Amino acid sequence: MLTFMKSFPYGQAALTMAGLAAASGAWLMTRRSEKTQADVRLWTFAKPHYEAYLEAVPAFEAAHPGARVEMQLVAGEAVTSRLQAAFWADLDVPDLVEVEISSAGSFFRGPLKEIGFVDLTDRIHREGLWDRLVQARFAPYTSRGRIFGLPHDVHPVVLAYRRDLAEKAGIDVNKIETWDDFIEAGRRYTIPNKRYMAEFPESDSSRFEGLLFQRDGGYFDQQGNCIMDDERAVESMKFYVPMVAGPNRIGSDLGGGQIFTRAVEDGYFLFMITPDWRSKTLEQDVPKMSGRMALMPLPAVRKGGRRTSTWGGTMIGITKKCQNPELAWALALHLYLNKQDLAQRFRDTNILAPDREAWTLPVYREPRPYWSNQPLGEIYTKLAPDVPFQYTSPYIGTAKGKMSEALIACVQYYNQRGERGFAPFVRTRLKQSADEVRRLMKRNPFME
Amino acid sequence: MAANDLLPRAKRWNAQRVAPYVFIAPFVILFLVFGAYPLIKSLVLSFYITNGPKSSVFVGLQNFAFLLTDPDFHKATRNTAIYTFWSVFLQLPLSLGLALLLNARWVRGREWLRLAFFSPHLVGQVFVGVLFSVLFVPQYGLINQALHAVADVPLDTRWLANPQLIMPALVLTSLWMYVGFNMVYFLAALQAVDKELYEAARVDGANSWQQFWAVTLPGIRPVAIFVLLMSTIGSFQLFELPWVMLGRSAGADGAGLTIVMYLYQTGYVSGDLGYASAVGWMLALGLLIVSLAQLRITGGFKTG
Repeated sequence: MLTFMKSFPYGQAALTMAGLAAASGAWLMTRRSEKTQADVRLWTFAKPHYEAYLEAVPAFEAAHPGARVEMQLVAGEAVTSRLQAAFWADLDVPDLVEVEISSAGSFFRGPLKEIGFVDLTDRIHREGLWDRLVQARFAPYTSRGRIFGLPHDVHPVVLAYRRDLAEKAGIDVNKIETWDDFIEAGRRYTIPNKRYMAEFPESDSSRFEGLLFQRDGGYFDQQGNCIMDDERAVESMKFYVPMVAGPNRIGSDLGGGQIFTRAVEDGYFLFMITPDWRSKTLEQDVPKMSGRMALMPLPAVRKGGRRTSTWGGTMIGITKKCQNPELAWALALHLYLNKQDLAQRFRDTNILAPDREAWTLPVYREPRPYWSNQPLGEIYTKLAPDVPFQYTSPYIGTAKGKMSEALIACVQYYNQRGERGFAPFVRTRLKQSADEVRRLMKRNPFME
Repeated sequence: MAANDLLPRAKRWNAQRVAPYVFIAPFVILFLVFGAYPLIKSLVLSFYITNGPKSSVFVGLQNFAFLLTDPDFHKATRNTAIYTFWSVFLQLPLSLGLALLLNARWVRGREWLRLAFFSPHLVGQVFVGVLFSVLFVPQYGLINQALHAVADVPLDTRWLANPQLIMPALVLTSLWMYVGFNMVYFLAALQAVDKELYEAARVDGANSWQQFWAVTLPGIRPVAIFVLLMSTIGSFQLFELPWVMLGRSAGADGAGLTIVMYLYQTGYVSGDLGYASAVGWMLALGLLIVSLAQLRITGGFKTG
């Protein structure tokens, strides 16, 4: 041994280092991955959800002796990329995962049998959840007729507005029933570069799509066909663009975060599209406006029409690697349907659960000082049954990007040429975007 | 006496023959596992449509054919080329100018200034991306406030939401980050230029400008070619800045979409590793062509 060490080129030190490297490498390779002690592991990307679940878990653990729940708060982008990679590589994944609505479709790209989530369709029907929850909210988590996620929320949309400024400007919100009424009031109120009637962006389709859903339009139909150039989309675009372009624009936006806070405080825009979750964001990010804000239903496209839409959402799914799906399902039901928790959660997050039975709780009728003592819960629950369906596809991300491109092109056209030739341009541009999505879809050999 | 000298001659000869292989083995093994294998695997993958690594269908050259007609790939290529052009052709003269300035003896506090100009590079692209996202904010951001005060630029100019302004914003950000970094290369090169050549030029009656053209530029040419190549390759690989500043959508109208971003989106968001591999190989091919062209134009192939 000593002779070998002495004969090793460049001496004993190099040999020792090589030996240590080999030994540590071998130790790492043979080392078993530490098994988690938890019986159910849950990933969520939303901090409010995480905090609410922390409070709800002890009751679940008490009701299921011996069961231990571990929760991890993971960044939204990471949930999608890490989970997808883990599904592909057969790596360790959590038992339950919350996925954001716009990412959910990306998990449904392959054959049904290769989707990493457990098919919940039969279980949902068997346990009566299909009738109990708002059915429209299953649509974003459904692929080829199979449901892979339980919806966390309804996210009906209303308009939030600066009540003090509206009153000062003589705008009577009770008289605004349709978008035509809204635009008419907006034209009187707006002073370009100083103040705008609404927070409507001209370069991304996030608000536009809410108005598209309001007209029962969307990116995909129930069968997954791309419909983003149908008549409803054309009409929505023709309606939306003049609100954010041209000499009579009434909408603008500045961005999110601190700048949004400043913009609301400064009265840069008066009305904001506000789903339930965003009403909490406003409360937290713009606290100075407490008592000066109010909510009103979305104006209808036509008198008597739908006064809401939807924006955002979350599902919870059980991964196929889950060792104890029954326990995971029980936890999902506990977190999503436990009435006592839902009451407190609504107070904490303003998010409306899709469980209709929960809407009768007194918490939904409580007046909210921030919203000029309006019963925020009642406003949202009244609109919730009318929330439109929002179908998804693995190509939803691409479709949203293409819709934004079409919006920008239409805004540029309208800024340069106005109404002249605008309608045919909208039709052609939307078709171009939709065809690009269809072309990608056609390449996918895995969707049976 | 060394340990090796104690061994019989045959054993010593054997050990000396094996030793080089033992010492290059770590690199060779790492290169084969993490370099050569992924390269070959990605080339093979580029002939498949995949849904992650599990499902794949052989499609021959279809991925490459699709690339040629893919508007998103065209957009990413165009954006990357524009970014590369502006960032390189603004960056290099600015870096050289700064290096000349900070090489001059009459500039006070040169050492501090060098550190100050180099320091943006120390913080990394993600930090710079976050910082400039705040600076470019409309209405209240520092850049708009300054431009409004100086040139009456509208306060609500949307640098990161207007497709026409996204690329200038990215180029400006990269300039802040890389001008100082490249300056260091030029400074080193400037200090290596033979001082006697300047003296000879002065004796021959050359003015400062003529000295720059006849002495400085030829003297720093090898470094300039290196910086040009590295900047071009770095620009073609742009990913973090637009990802942080503009998000997954790459900004309004995809105006900040770069080739590497597109590669990431197709591979890791859409799951088509085959198509992403094809994008990667096209990028490598493009880089090779651009680099060879640059070397040819700048005379980088000439020896001596």
